[in-house]
Amino acid sequence: MAAILRVAADVGGTFTDIACLSPAGELWTCKVPSTPDDYARAVIEGIQLLTRNLGVDPADYAEVSHASTVATNTILEGKGARTALVTTAGFRDVLELRRIRVPRLYEPLYEKPAPLVPRRHRYEVTERLDASGAVVHPLDEDQVRKLASTLAQAQVEAVAVSLLHSYVNPAHERRIAEMLKAALPGCFVTVSSEVLPEIREYERTSTTVVSAYVGPVVTRYLRSLQQRLAAGGIDARLVMMQSSGGTIDVRQVIERPAIVVESGPAAGVIGAARLGARAGHESIITFDMGGTTAKASLIDRGEVSSTDEYEVGGGISMSGGLAKGGGYALKLPVIDVSEVGAGGGSIVRIDAGNALKVGPDSAGAVPGPACYARGGTQATVTDANVVLGYLNPHGLAGGTVPIDAALARAAIQTIATRLGLELMETAHGIHRLANAAMTRAVKAVSTYRGRDPRDFSLFAFGGNGGIHAASLADDLQIRQVLVPAAAGVFSAVGLLCADREALRSAAFLRPLDAASVGQARARCALLERQARADLGDSESPVVRWRAALRYAGQGFELAIELPQVIAGDTDPVEDLSAAFELEYRRTYGHELVGHRLEFVALRVFAAVPPPGAIAAMRMRPAQPHGPRDAVRKAYFGATHGLLDTPVIGRDELDATPRRGPLIIEEYEGTTVVPPQATACRDVFGNIVVALDGGRLHGA
Amino acid sequence: MALSIDPISLEVFRNAFESAADQMALILMRTAHSPIVRDAMDFSTAICDAAGQNLAQGLTTPMHLGSFFDAMRHLIRQYEGRIGAGDVFIANDPYLASGQHLPDIYVVRPVFDGARLCAWAATIAHHVDVGGLVPGSNSLAAVEIHQEGLRLPFVKLAEGGVLNAIVLDIVAANVRVPDQVLGDLHAQMAACLAGEREMRQLFERYGADTVMTYGDALQDYSERLARAAIAKIPDGTYRFSDHIDGLGENPQPIRFEVQLIVRGDELTVDWTGTSPQVKGGINAPLSFCKSNVYAALRCVMPLDVPNCHGYTRPIHVIAPEASVLNARYPAPCGARGITGYRIVDCLFGALAQAVPDAVAADGAGGSTLPSFSGWHGGKRFVFSECIMGTWGATSRHDGQEGVPHMASNQANVPVEMIECDYPIRIERYGFAADSGGAGRYRGGLGVVREYRMLADDVYFGVRSDKALHAPHGLFGGAEGAVAVNLIRSAAGDRTLPPMPMLPITLSRGEVYRHVMAGGGGFGDALEREPESVRADVLDGKVSLERARSLYGVVLDEETRVNTAATQAARAGLRGASPAGPAGLAS
Repeated sequence: MAAILRVAADVGGTFTDIACLSPAGELWTCKVPSTPDDYARAVIEGIQLLTRNLGVDPADYAEVSHASTVATNTILEGKGARTALVTTAGFRDVLELRRIRVPRLYEPLYEKPAPLVPRRHRYEVTERLDASGAVVHPLDEDQVRKLASTLAQAQVEAVAVSLLHSYVNPAHERRIAEMLKAALPGCFVTVSSEVLPEIREYERTSTTVVSAYVGPVVTRYLRSLQQRLAAGGIDARLVMMQSSGGTIDVRQVIERPAIVVESGPAAGVIGAARLGARAGHESIITFDMGGTTAKASLIDRGEVSSTDEYEVGGGISMSGGLAKGGGYALKLPVIDVSEVGAGGGSIVRIDAGNALKVGPDSAGAVPGPACYARGGTQATVTDANVVLGYLNPHGLAGGTVPIDAALARAAIQTIATRLGLELMETAHGIHRLANAAMTRAVKAVSTYRGRDPRDFSLFAFGGNGGIHAASLADDLQIRQVLVPAAAGVFSAVGLLCADREALRSAAFLRPLDAASVGQARARCALLERQARADLGDSESPVVRWRAALRYAGQGFELAIELPQVIAGDTDPVEDLSAAFELEYRRTYGHELVGHRLEFVALRVFAAVPPPGAIAAMRMRPAQPHGPRDAVRKAYFGATHGLLDTPVIGRDELDATPRRGPLIIEEYEGTTVVPPQATACRDVFGNIVVALDGGRLHGA
Repeated sequence: MALSIDPISLEVFRNAFESAADQMALILMRTAHSPIVRDAMDFSTAICDAAGQNLAQGLTTPMHLGSFFDAMRHLIRQYEGRIGAGDVFIANDPYLASGQHLPDIYVVRPVFDGARLCAWAATIAHHVDVGGLVPGSNSLAAVEIHQEGLRLPFVKLAEGGVLNAIVLDIVAANVRVPDQVLGDLHAQMAACLAGEREMRQLFERYGADTVMTYGDALQDYSERLARAAIAKIPDGTYRFSDHIDGLGENPQPIRFEVQLIVRGDELTVDWTGTSPQVKGGINAPLSFCKSNVYAALRCVMPLDVPNCHGYTRPIHVIAPEASVLNARYPAPCGARGITGYRIVDCLFGALAQAVPDAVAADGAGGSTLPSFSGWHGGKRFVFSECIMGTWGATSRHDGQEGVPHMASNQANVPVEMIECDYPIRIERYGFAADSGGAGRYRGGLGVVREYRMLADDVYFGVRSDKALHAPHGLFGGAEGAVAVNLIRSAAGDRTLPPMPMLPITLSRGEVYRHVMAGGGGFGDALEREPESVRADVLDGKVSLERARSLYGVVLDEETRVNTAATQAARAGLRGASPAGPAGLAS
C-alpha cells in the first residue's frame, strides 16, 4: 500500500493531541498525556494508538507534522544550552541592557528576567563596521583564535555571534563562525546576519541568542523523534510548524531553530483560516480558550496577521507592544496572537475595593476548579459555568472528568455572600468578567489595528471556546460564531491544513523610488531562490513577495504586497504608495498625504499547499459522550433568568437553524447557544451560531 | 437617573476605559515620527471624564500620571460653552495652560453624546523640539520661559472637524524639525480620534448616563483602594532630604526637603524647606510636582489600583510658592525632568522609613540627556536621547541593571539607528564594574555610553546629575559610585560639570563619555552570600580587590570561595568599622 495518510501531533505541556487525515478527507483524532522527559515519546505513543485503532500500517504514513512547545519550555524552564555570545568590542552588555523599558510600571521590586547568556560568557572581539558596512576596524583574528580556546575550556554547547551592522555586511560574523566551527566541532554556532539580517542590535542579538540557546535542545528532540519514528516503521516526511504558520522540513529547523518557538498557537490559527474559508468565512477572529488563558488572532480576508514584535517567555502577551521587556525579544515573524489570563481555571477573587476579579491566577490542572473535587476550593470560571448550567453537572469529556456541582455552588456562594449578590447573578457576573478580559484580547488584534470586529466571524476552539463564544461575540457585536468539529484538539487539525512554507527576509532600508523598487525586486528574486531551496523539492511553490514600508521618519512599518510581474503601463512606485496609503488609513484612521515612503525590509514566502483532502475533511467517527440530561436549567442573565435548556449532541443539529437556548455537548467540549440566538450545523460539521440584533446582557 | 452600581459592570467598564487608553497609546507610538516618541515612548494617553479627571491612562510614562487633570481643568474653564464636537485643542504652557514644560504638548479631543460633552480623549507627548535657546528646547541656561520656545495656551487645533492650518503653520515656523513635530502632532490627533471612537461606541451601547455613572464609580473605587493602601502605612511623619548637584560650571546643591505625613487613610506630602526656584531650566510647575508625587506613591499601592484620578484624592501636596517645585512665572522649566526624578527619589527615601520592604535604595537618579546638533551633509541634525540605567538594591534582591527610572518608563535608542542617521559613532554601551553600592544586596551597576563625533562643530549639551551626590544605600548598604561626564580628545581628558551652562563645541574625533551613577546597596555587605560575590567577580561586575575589601570575600586562584580566609577577612572588617554607613540617618 502506498503511503497516503498524513498525521499531525500537537505537543502541549499536559496533552499531546493527534489528528490523522486520509486522502478521502476522513479525520481521526486522539489525545495522550505528554511526556515532558522526552516529548517525542508521546508523539510516537499517540501515533501508535491511532495506528492500532484504525488498523493501518505504519508504512501508510506519508507525512508526520508536528507542533511543539519544546523551544518555549526550554526558555521558560531555563534548560537551554550552555551558550556564549560574541559581540563587537564595547557591546557585550547590549543583551542585558535590552531596550531598557520594563513591562510593569510602579513596581520598585520588579526583577528583570536574567539574560540567557550570563555576562561571564559574553565575549568581545575587536572589529567595527560603520552603518554603511564599511570596515572601521578589521577583525582581529588572533583574538578569535584565543577566544576559541576559551570557549572550549568553558565547555559551551552553543555560540551566538552578533556584531554591529552585520545586517549590511556579514563578513566579520561569517569569518568568526568559520573559525569557531573549525575549532569547536559539535558546538552549535549561529550568526545574527543569518538568523535576522535586520537593523537594531538588541533585537537581532536577542533573536540570535534565543536560537543558539534552544538550538541543541531542539536538535536533540528532533533527532529523538526521527529515531523513534524510524524504529516504529514510520518512514514519512517529518515537518514542523513554524511560528509564522507554515510547516517546514525538520532539517531546516535544525539549522534555524528560532523559527519554531511559537509553533503551538500558530497551528490553530492556520486551521481556523483554512476551515473557516472552506465554510465561506474569509474574515475571522479566532478565539482559543483553554484552562489558563484565552488567545485571539485576526484573519482578514483570508490573510493571517503576523508580527515580529514578539517576546518569548514573557508570560501572557497582549498584542500591541506596549508592555515590552518581560521576555526575550524574538524578532521573527510570529502569527499575531494576543493572550489574556482568562481560562476555565482562572481564579475569582474580591479585591480591597470590593471589586470582583477574574484571573490571571489559575487553579491549573491541579488542584483545578473546585468542582473537580481535587482539593481546589477557590471559585473559578469553570465553577461559574457549572453553576450557570452551561457545563454538565456530572462530568466532562464523556464523563472522564467527574464534576461535583455542589462544590462549584459552594465556591461561588462564598463570593456571592461577600458581594451581597445572588448565586446566579454572581456566577453570571464571573462569566461576563471573563468575557470582559477576553474582549481586550480580541480588541488588541482588531480595533487596535483599525479592524472592526463586527466585520468578522468568531471561530471558537479550545476546551472552553464554545462555552464563552456566543456571549463574547455578543459583547463585541459579532453576528456569527463557528465551532468546528474536534475543537478540543483543534491545533492538531490545524497542522494538517498548513502549507509547507519557507520564508526568507532581508533588511532593505531605501527611500521608495523607481530605482529602489528595481533593487527590491532583484533582492526578492534572490530571496526566492533561497526559499525554494529551503523547501528542497521539485514541487512548484506559490511564491509571494512582500515589502515592509513606512512613512519616512516613522518607526513602524506595514507589509504591502510587492508585485512579481509589473505590467508595462503601470508605475510600481505609484501602485505601492497607493496600496500603502490605503492600508495605513485602514489601520490608523488617517493618512499623511504626500509624505515620502521608504522600504524597511523584504520578505519572500514560498508555499506548497497540503494535498487536496482539506476541502473534504470530515470528522469521524463521533466520540462517545457521557451521560447527559435531555434538558437542564441554565441561567442567561437577569433579562432571561433560568431557562429550561435542551442538551443535544452535534449530530442532532442539521442545516435548519434551531433557536436557543440550547446546549450542544460532546466529548470535545460544550457549545452554549443563548436565547435569541440560533444554531445549525453546516455541511462541514461546524456548529454555526447566529446572533440576532437583540442584546443578551444588560450593562 | 439613579443607577445602582454593580461590581461586575464596574470591572467591565474599567476594562473598556483602559482598553481605549491603551489603544490610543499604541496608535500614537506606531504613527509617531520622532525617536523620543516612537522609540523612547515619552508620551501618555488618557480617557478623561467630562470634568477632565482621567478614567484610564495608557501604560506609558509614569511621571505623566496625574498630569492631565490640571491642564484639562484649565481648558474646561477657559472654553466653557465653546467646546464642540470635532474640536481638537492644543497647549503646552505651564503658566497659561497648567502644562508640564514647553516640549510636552497636549492634544485633546472632547467626546460628545449628541449635544452633551461626556468625556475627553487626551494625549501628551514630548516633542523633539519647540524652539528656544537650544535644539531640544531643554536649555539649562534659560532664565525665563520666553527663552524656551513656542508657548501655546489652549487653542483650537481643529474646530468642528476642520483642521486649523494656521496653528500648524505657526508651530512649524517655530520649531527646528517641523517634519518630526508635525508628524507627532498628527499621531496625537490619530490617537484622540481612536479614543473618541471607542467612547462613542460605549455611549451607543450602554447609554452615556450609564457610562458616566460608572466612570464616577470607578473614581470612587480607586479612591477606596488608595485609602485602604494608605491606611496600611504606619501613621507618622517621615522626613528625607536629597539634592540635585546644581547648575553650571560652579554647581551649588539644590535642596529637596520632604515631610511625608501619614494620618489614617490620608497622606500629606509637604515640600516646605525645598530650594527656591532657580535661574535655570529645571523648575517644576506645581502640576508636574504633583504628578511625580502621585507616581511615587502609586509605587507602594497594590498593582490593580486603576490609574484614574480618584486615587489622588486622599493625597495632599504642599509645595512652597516660587520654589523649584512650584515655579512662578516666568521661571524656566524646559529641563525639569531631573526635578521630577528627584521628587520621586526623595519620596522613596521617606517611604523607606515607613515601608522598608516596599522600595529600593537610591538609583541612578533619572535619565541623562545629552544632545548633539550641527550640520552634516548639508542638512541640519538634532539628536538627543535618554541614557538610563540602574536601580538601588531592595530587601529581596540586587539592584536592577538596564532599567528606566521608576518615573519614566522609556526605551533606549538602538546604536545602529543612531549611526544610520547621525554623524556619531557609539563606541561603548555597557556596565561600569565596581559602581554598584556594596550591601547584602548590591546596588545595580552604572551604565557607560561613549559617543565619538564624526563631524566638526557639533554643538553639545548635557543634563545629568549624581556626580556630586551619590545614590544613597539603605540599612547599612553603601552608596553607589557617582556619575562622570568626560570629553576625550587628543589634547587629553576634560571633566564636565553635571549640568554645564556654557556652550560646548565638539570637533571630529572627540569623544563624550558618560558614566551614570551606580545604585545604592541594601543591608550590610559583610552579610552578602559569598557565592553571590563570587558570581559578581566571575561576571566582571565586582573586582577581586573589592570582593575582598568591601565584602570580605576571598577567592582562590580558581575563583572559588576560600571559606576560612573569608571568615577571617570579614571578622577583620567588622572590627575595623563598628558601625556601617548609616543608611537611614535622619
